[in-house]
Formats: sequence, structure tokens, C-alpha cells
Amino acid sequence: MIEQAELIKYFLLESEDYVNTLIEGIEELENKGFNYETLEVLYRTTHTLKGSASIVKFNKIASLAHKLEDLFEALIKKEIPEDLSLINVIRKVVNIIISLINEIVQYNEEKSDLDKKLLELIDEIVNKKTLAKVEEEVSETYAPLPTINSVRVDLHLIDSILGILSEIIVQKNILIDREKELTNLVEVILEGGKKLFNEIVSFSERYWLTPMSDKSKVLDTFFTDFSDLEFDRYDEYHIFTRKISEITNDINEGLSELISFSENLSSNFKTLSKEITNLKDNLLSLRMLPIGRLLSKISEAIKDIANNLGKDVSIEIKGGDIKIDKPVLDLLYEPLIHILRNAIDHGIETPQERLALGKTQKGNIKLIAKKEGKYVVISITDDGRGIDTEKVKQRAIEKGLLNPQQALHMSKDEILSYIFVPGFSTSEDVDFQSGRGMGLDIVKTVIAKLKGTIEVYSEIHKNTTFIIKIPQSLSITNLLIFMSSSLEFAVPINYIEEILTIEDYPNVKHERVINHKNRVIPVKIFSEIYLSSNGKPLEKGYLIIFNFSGIRKALLVDDILGQEEATIYSLGKFLEGLNQYLGYVISSQGNPRFVIDPVKIFEEDFSFNLPVHLYRENVVYSGRVLIVDDSISVRKSLQALLEAKNLKVYTAKDGLEALSILEEKNVDLIITDLEMPVMHGYEFINRIRKDTRFNDLPIVVLTSRGTKKHQEKAIDLGADGFLVKPFDEKTITELLERFNIIENRIF
Amino acid sequence: MDEEIREERHFCVFGVGEREFLIPKESVVQILDITKIFPIPGSPDYIVGALPVRGKIVPAIDLAKVYNIERINYSENKLLVIEVDDEKIGILSDITPFFVSFDKEIVVEDYLDPKKLYEELKVKQPSTNKNNENIL
Repeated sequence: MIEQAELIKYFLLESEDYVNTLIEGIEELENKGFNYETLEVLYRTTHTLKGSASIVKFNKIASLAHKLEDLFEALIKKEIPEDLSLINVIRKVVNIIISLINEIVQYNEEKSDLDKKLLELIDEIVNKKTLAKVEEEVSETYAPLPTINSVRVDLHLIDSILGILSEIIVQKNILIDREKELTNLVEVILEGGKKLFNEIVSFSERYWLTPMSDKSKVLDTFFTDFSDLEFDRYDEYHIFTRKISEITNDINEGLSELISFSENLSSNFKTLSKEITNLKDNLLSLRMLPIGRLLSKISEAIKDIANNLGKDVSIEIKGGDIKIDKPVLDLLYEPLIHILRNAIDHGIETPQERLALGKTQKGNIKLIAKKEGKYVVISITDDGRGIDTEKVKQRAIEKGLLNPQQALHMSKDEILSYIFVPGFSTSEDVDFQSGRGMGLDIVKTVIAKLKGTIEVYSEIHKNTTFIIKIPQSLSITNLLIFMSSSLEFAVPINYIEEILTIEDYPNVKHERVINHKNRVIPVKIFSEIYLSSNGKPLEKGYLIIFNFSGIRKALLVDDILGQEEATIYSLGKFLEGLNQYLGYVISSQGNPRFVIDPVKIFEEDFSFNLPVHLYRENVVYSGRVLIVDDSISVRKSLQALLEAKNLKVYTAKDGLEALSILEEKNVDLIITDLEMPVMHGYEFINRIRKDTRFNDLPIVVLTSRGTKKHQEKAIDLGADGFLVKPFDEKTITELLERFNIIENRIF
Repeated sequence: MDEEIREERHFCVFGVGEREFLIPKESVVQILDITKIFPIPGSPDYIVGALPVRGKIVPAIDLAKVYNIERINYSENKLLVIEVDDEKIGILSDITPFFVSFDKEIVVEDYLDPKKLYEELKVKQPSTNKNNENIL
């Protein structure tokens, strides 16, 4: 069960607020007289106090609060006369509540007995709707509330502190990099200093021994009395070398101080990093609450649901003391309720059915929370009907989510995962016994938002288990850092199952699927999704395998740089349309890395939104041509040629881009290449011809592939003309005339 | 003439190619030297990338792409950071931006309304990214 002491702590914290509200309310009643607003506040406060007290089984406080609640309700409904003497009764009850709270602080339980007479008095007032005489006068003062060594802090405040802390971490990382530079610098200076010192020492030693030349002799009369042998004479060079070696000595001393300084600095930085990490952990734990608070709240709700549906269930809760970030906790309520409601509604049989099946009359639901590293795993198990995989398969096929061939090779678990696919079940009212897919796609979306995962396992007629795995804290995410086209990106690791090297799959670029552990996994090439890199050969490469509730997808990237814990910042409103990103993180070098949303990029036909900017059109053009070619030189030369003919030209790097232009612009002719990244020409032509809006739009293929085979295929798909590169003005002009593009020019 | 207290409006002037634009001084937050811009794959062509500033990023916008202005050379590359709705965006300027004041009565040409600019250039969801013409 939930850690009782923990819950009592929270109760005491809350009760302090409630009692204060009550006292303030009573004073207001006294001063302003009975009014609806104050009574309403008092009524609500006693109601919540009753609820919280009964969760922690402080029944005396709960029943006192209940009585007050009744009294306030009666006052609101004006069932009993508003008499100031009532305030004495109320005050007395509040005083008893306060002394009970004091007892809880001291002994962890409610010691004193309830004053039966007082309770009866309130009952009498409420029921008989008459004003009973309050026998004794109650003192005006309240007993002091126990002192609780806690304060309540607004979550936003903690968030903003965490935000500041993240910036401190970035700055710290920058400083630590700087410190390395300093160490290098010190080494360079030290090396130079040593050389200088040696040079000077050896020079002065050598010079010391050479005889003085006459010219440089110091002409000091003081010395003339002595011969050279009688007195050591110093010329300016001697003095200079001596000075230099002294200075070098000073520098040397300074240098060794610098070394010890930089060493000290390094250890200071290390301590600082450690303390910052400590601070971060402590701050994060501030926001953590035991999950038991949520689970017990849910179990209350579930009992109501079960009663309404005529099911009899017992709920078992384990691991309630596991702590989890407050925002995560709040967001978990809905999905958990959803799953549990499904379990009771569709999973658990009626008592009669259960007995007939040889099960216990009561259905059992287990809610178990466990900690796995930085994750919390919540499993929800019911011993009801289970989910019929066959029915799930049929429905998925019916809905066009699954093709029958594929389904043959799928494991039970994989098929089961289709209940999370959007569109599997849309109507909330349909009660189909087997497929419990009602709104589960929404549950999955919420869990995904929390950077968590959800899986389902079931044995038909026996049980169903949902396993939710979410990070304990939202602020710090575990990310995989990867590289593509020399840019660094990050992706949350929660969906990542494993990483394979491309070497084992030499044909992956071609085939776009891999066969791994008897599973056919579709592959997307990351660089192709957003760049029109012209198929630069990848020598090195990695396949990141994602597991989306049982459905596996692979992403091909250039390089893996490692794993990192970081805070994801939002891109802000200006860039929020770029929904392929969850946000960005800042590397220790201070560079931004964009965090990819794996769910988004694997969406059917997803391509990074490449809006082509539209320029204002002031000129009246005689026609509009769309050029689709991945080569910039072809685009530019053709564009120049066509613009010279007073044509409006749109250009696109590939089929996909071209399609988006077609959505926005009217075009009279398309000239397209065949070999292009992202979407090649054949597919492009095929798509246009499938769209009834563009049935009559002429398409000319421009390619260096002049073979009949290529030509036939293009014409087959619906191309109207064929041009072989290189082109000249004449052929282009002929072409334009053929399709009446420049015929109707008005001069 | 009498000395009159005339109300003046303050602007920041920046340059894109051969053109100059004015933006209200109040919306200017800072002017940065452009050291390194990090591209944001998938963003519209007028967003040249993001510049990290104090642990956060500021998107950099090239108005040359928006107004189809030809650029001879990138001589002085500065980023004019403006704030709209508590959010910072940067505009590339080919000159070092400077401040001017005009009489309130004078109608300034090539004036950019920051809020309008922000709304027009904001990255929209794929399906709604149409009709972002006629910014002025």
C-alpha cells in the first residue's frame, strides 16, 4: 500500500490551509453577516477537508468536517435561520479539528473522543431546521495550529529555477571547456619560459667567461686604481645578463604559481560541477510526489465507475511510494482512468458470468508501480476477458490499417499493438467485446507527450495488461545524439530499441527495409527527409531501431555521437510550425541541437515542411511553368531561358516540393527530371495523373536518360513529351509552342 | 519660429541589399555580430538558421528572401534582434543598424510593423502555409 506516513505529511500540509480558510471564513461571517460567497467557500473547504481526511483514515476529522459541511449546506439553502449563535457551534467544531490535527502531529493518530453532544446538536439544527440553544460559550480564540516545517511553493517558481539552472549548466560547460584552453595555454607559456630560461642561463655563463673588450670597458675613475686582475670589472653586458636572469627567475616563479593556480581552478570547477548536479537533483526531487496520491484517487473513481456499470471489482495497488514529477503525475490521471474504465467496461465480466467461468465473483484489477532506473513503470492488469487478437486483426484489416499478407507474419503482440493506431476505433459508444481500442490512440498520444511508451499484453479469457513506462521527471530527457550531413541532432531514447550498423545491411539504401530478428522493418533515411542531398554515398551509417508500441521502424543516420541527459527547450511560437522537432538542446560547446520527434517523422509520407517562398507577382506573364530538377544549374539555366520568354517560372528540387507548389499555384506546364531524391520523376508524374485537378496539365520529361525504356515508362505514366539533356533554346521554344504556352503572347 | 515640443518617433534603420527598412526602436532588443548560424532543416528559406544567444536560440530571418532583394555582397553582417510577444527573432542586416528620430507627423516609408512581420513570417503548419504574400 501507499506509504502512510507520506500521505499523512501531505494531509497535514493541506489541512493547515483548510483550517486557515475556515477561520477566515468564520470571521467574515461574524463581521459581514451571513453571505452566500463566504458560506460557499466554507462549504467547499469542509467538503475537501472531509475527503482528504478520509483518504488517510482520520475518521474523526472527516465526520466533524462532514457535519460542518451539512450545516453550511443548510445555510446556503437557507433551510435554517441565520443566527450568529451558530458561529459558536462552528467555532467549537473547528477547535476540535485543530486539536485533532495537533494530536496527529504528535502521536500520528486521533486520540481524543468526539463530543457526541456537539455532533447531535448540529444534527438537530440541520434536521429540525430550528435553532437549538447553544449551551456553553466558546472561547473566541482558536488553539494554535501545529507548526509544520514545510512551505508550499508554486510549481512555476521551481520551473523557473530549473530554467535558470539549465542556463547555469550550459555556462558551466562552457567554462569547463575554457578551462581546458587555459591549461593548454599554461603549458605553452611554460614550455616557452623554460626555453627562455635555459637560453639565458647558458648565454650568461658563456659570456661571464669571455674577457672584456676594451671598448666596452666602463670608464670609471674609481676602477682605474686597480688592474683588471685586482678587481672584477663589470661591463654593461654583464649587468644586463645578470638582470635578465633575475627577471627570468621571477617569470619562472610566476609560471609555477600559474600552474598551481590552474590546477586549483580545475579542482574548483570539479567541485562546482558536482554541486550543480546536486542542486539539480535536489530541485528535481522538490517537484516529485508519490504516485500513491494519484493511484488512490484513481481507485476511488474506479469504484464509482464499477458500481455504475454493475461490475464488482477489487483493486490492488502496489508501489505507491514511488515518486514522480508533479506535471507527469497530473497528466497521467486521464490515460489511467481511460484504460481502467475500458478494463471494467469491456474486460471484467459481470459477477454471474465470472462465476460461470469459474473465476472469482469479484474482478481483480492490479495497479503496480515500479521504478526502473530513471523511469517509472506502471502496469495495469485485469483478470477479465482478455483481448481477442483475431478480432483485432480483422478489424485492423477492415479499417485498412493492416494488409492481410503482412498480418500473416505478425506475432500476437504486434497485432495487439494495432489497438493504439489512430482510426482503429473511433466511436466511443461502440462496445465491441474484443477490441478495446476505444480512444486508445489518445492514451498513446498523452503517454508519448510525457516521453513515455505504452504496451499491451493479453491472454484471451484470462487477463489484459497495459504497461506504461514514463520518465520520472519531465525536465531532463535522455537523448541520443546523432549526426546527419554534418549537422547534429538529438532524439529521445524512449522509443529506441537498438542501434545497428549499416555494414550488416549493404542494400538498405536501396531496399528501404531490413530484415532483423525475423521482422521486416521499414527504413527511412534521415538526410533524405529534409535535405536533397544527391545521394552522397554513405560509407558509415547506423540504423536506429524505434519501437512504437510494438511497431518497429528504422532511421538511417550518418553517425552516432553518444547519449546525453539534457533539458529540452521549446522552439517558441515563431518556429512552432516545425512540428518535426520537439525542441532543442544546447551542447556543451553552446551549439544548438534540434530534437527530432520520432513519431512525427515516421508518419506516412512525412517530409520536412519545405515551403517555397512566394514572391509577389506584378508582371503579367504569358504562361507559368514549373521546373522540377535536382540540379541547380539545370533549374537556373532553364529558368533564365523561360523568363526571357516572359514566362513565370516556379522551380522545385524534387517531386514533393513540386507537388506543394502545385497546391498553391496555377501552372500551365511542368518540365520534370526523372532522377531526383525524395520523390523521383516517375512517382511525381504518377501522383499528378492520379489527381483529377491536373488531368490536362501537360508534363514534359527532361532527362539525360534517352533510352526508349525510360521514355516509354514516362509516357505510360502520363507524360506528354520527352526532352533529352542537354537542351537548347530552339527545342525549348518548339516545345512551348507545341503546348501553346507562348503562342498567345501579346506584343 | 516658436520652440515647440514636437513629438518624435524613434526608429532603428537596417539594410538588406540596397534597401533600408525602419522598425520601431522600442522593439529592438540587441544588435549582434553574426558569428555562426546553425541551419534549421525543414524551415522556410527565409529562415537562415538559429543563433545561440545565452543558452537559447534566436531564429535569423533574411528579408532578402522575403522581398526578393538582390544582394551584391554580404559586407557587414549583423543580426538585429527584436522582441515580439516576449519572443526574440533576429533579422539579418547588411549594414550596422542605427537609430533615427522623426517628427510624429512624417509618414515613414519602408516601415515594418514588428507584430505584423512576426505573424506573417511565423512558421505555419504545412497545410496552412499559403498566401504569405504581400507582407508590406
